Amino acid sequence: MRKSRRRQLTAILRYVLLTGWAVVAFFPIFWMISTSFKPDTQWFAWPPFYFPHPPTLSNYLNVWFGAEEYAATQYAISSQKPLISLLNSTIIAGTATLLSVLFGSVMAYGVSRYRILSETRMFQLLMLRMIPPIVIVAPLSLYYSTLGLLDSMTGLILIYFLTTLPYAVWMTKSFIDEVPREIEQAAEILGASRWRTIFEIVLPLIRSGLVATFLFILILTWSEYLLALIITKTQVTTLPIELSKYQGTTEGRVYGRQAALAVGITIPLMIVGLIIRKHLARGFSFGMVRR
Amino acid sequence: MSVAAVPAASIPSQASPRERSRQRAIRRFRWSILAPLILLLAFVLMPVLFLQLYFSFHQWTVYLGSWWDAEFVGLDLFREVLTDPRFGWAVVRSLAFATGSTIGCFVIGFALAYLMRRPFRGQAFYYTVFILPMLTVPVVVAYTAEMLLYQSGPINDLISRISGIDFKPMWLTDPNIALPTVMLLEIWNWAPFSFIILLAGLAAIPTEPIEAAEILGASKWRIFWEVELPLLRPVIFLALVLRFLEAMAEFPKTWALLQGGPGTATETLPVYIFLTTWQYFEISKGAVMSYLVMLLMIVIVLFAIRLLRREKQSLDAMYAGQKAAG
Repeated sequence: MRKSRRRQLTAILRYVLLTGWAVVAFFPIFWMISTSFKPDTQWFAWPPFYFPHPPTLSNYLNVWFGAEEYAATQYAISSQKPLISLLNSTIIAGTATLLSVLFGSVMAYGVSRYRILSETRMFQLLMLRMIPPIVIVAPLSLYYSTLGLLDSMTGLILIYFLTTLPYAVWMTKSFIDEVPREIEQAAEILGASRWRTIFEIVLPLIRSGLVATFLFILILTWSEYLLALIITKTQVTTLPIELSKYQGTTEGRVYGRQAALAVGITIPLMIVGLIIRKHLARGFSFGMVRR
Repeated sequence: MSVAAVPAASIPSQASPRERSRQRAIRRFRWSILAPLILLLAFVLMPVLFLQLYFSFHQWTVYLGSWWDAEFVGLDLFREVLTDPRFGWAVVRSLAFATGSTIGCFVIGFALAYLMRRPFRGQAFYYTVFILPMLTVPVVVAYTAEMLLYQSGPINDLISRISGIDFKPMWLTDPNIALPTVMLLEIWNWAPFSFIILLAGLAAIPTEPIEAAEILGASKWRIFWEVELPLLRPVIFLALVLRFLEAMAEFPKTWALLQGGPGTATETLPVYIFLTTWQYFEISKGAVMSYLVMLLMIVIVLFAIRLLRREKQSLDAMYAGQKAAG
């Protein structure tokens, strides 16, 4: 009797604590979404408006499509820039991630089956990721400017490829390690070359793992800020940089516009993240933690 | 194949010609797999590291002519940086920021993971909500924080309403609070990381030792400290080490929100290097600082890697044991 009472109490306490943190975790996201629908008078009113009243789409139409008629003149930032940045971001993040997963998974196969990199080398590979990128950005931008890669998609794709490769190798290796070798040995006896074994047997077997790796690295490249800030100038901007341009474009704070842009950047990322939620732990821990 | 045709003394092992050609093929295969990495290291990373070294010993800024005939100054720049109190403070701030936010992420992540270690109704819902902060772009976190935290903003309003007292700290403009504010943002942003890793760890704990301890009559508290915690050690290390390294490199939130201000209150190492290079255009000084930070980080990372290697072995052993068991 007393025991079941206590169990009930702990269950309630658990719900209270979890709900408490859920509110903390969700409130900023709620605020961003709510602000993106607010008309300009409610962006920083006192007392604050928690819900847009009435909700309006003007922020979205103005920011994403440069629709002037929705803009009070002082807030008008009329151009279709964000759509171009969206295109840039998609191309850059997509290409770099694809390269990373493609070459990473082949390397991972080599490491898993032929030990082309010793364990020490594998951990040294992680250094590419663990040393803060700030320490190389200055010489990198000079190097790129000599090569004419500054402000180009190629430059950004190359450096994203390099910095996400460790994640790709480690994460796909953790999937390949789980594939039994017997199938490959059978293929080899039947006369398949090593490359055919990789592309027609092993990689198809870890298909879902490859998709998870792709989406995971897409999260990293999509939201990357520092390298994009340095390497891109005017021709090529990615979405996070585009968002930071709204800071200080006008004297007034343009929260509603920022929020509309921020929602557009974040929602795809959240969808991607929720699709691979089971694999996030594996990704962030370089495949060391599995579920 | 005719093994007898090859004199036995000339071959170190028992390699037949066929075996040898196989070895060659494998070697070729290895190199072709490694080629992209080697090319990237040789043509992207190496030149960059070389340039960084060059600028560390040559005085150059963007106003001067071409960088290749910059003046050689020996160790002068290193002396300048090492005696710069701002640099020292940036190191202290970065370490404090990384330590504080790592501990914060860990405590919250562990508490959440522990509360959710057994299935219950609504678990999937909470899991989904808890990982959302990790899936927001860091710059977005910074700008959203600005919308939330200005002095008459919603956070102060909410806290005042709930507590009934007039709660009005200047989160972003008070130099004493600014760094803790950024730390709180980092914790909000990345506690989910510690949470998912620790939850995965808790889920992977074998149940037998816990049941055995329960049968032997151990208290819940003792089971936690003496059975569960030791089994969790690898994931705990992983959560702490990886988070600490990421926090040392944190730039987008600190920069987008405060640019190192107010004053120098949030000037962490990445921010100070960025300011030196792109606001004061002291490229050489920035390079020296980068170099020193890189050395510092290499020391930390080598230490971290040693820890990770050890813990990875015990993790692999645990997963192997699980596979064997069922």
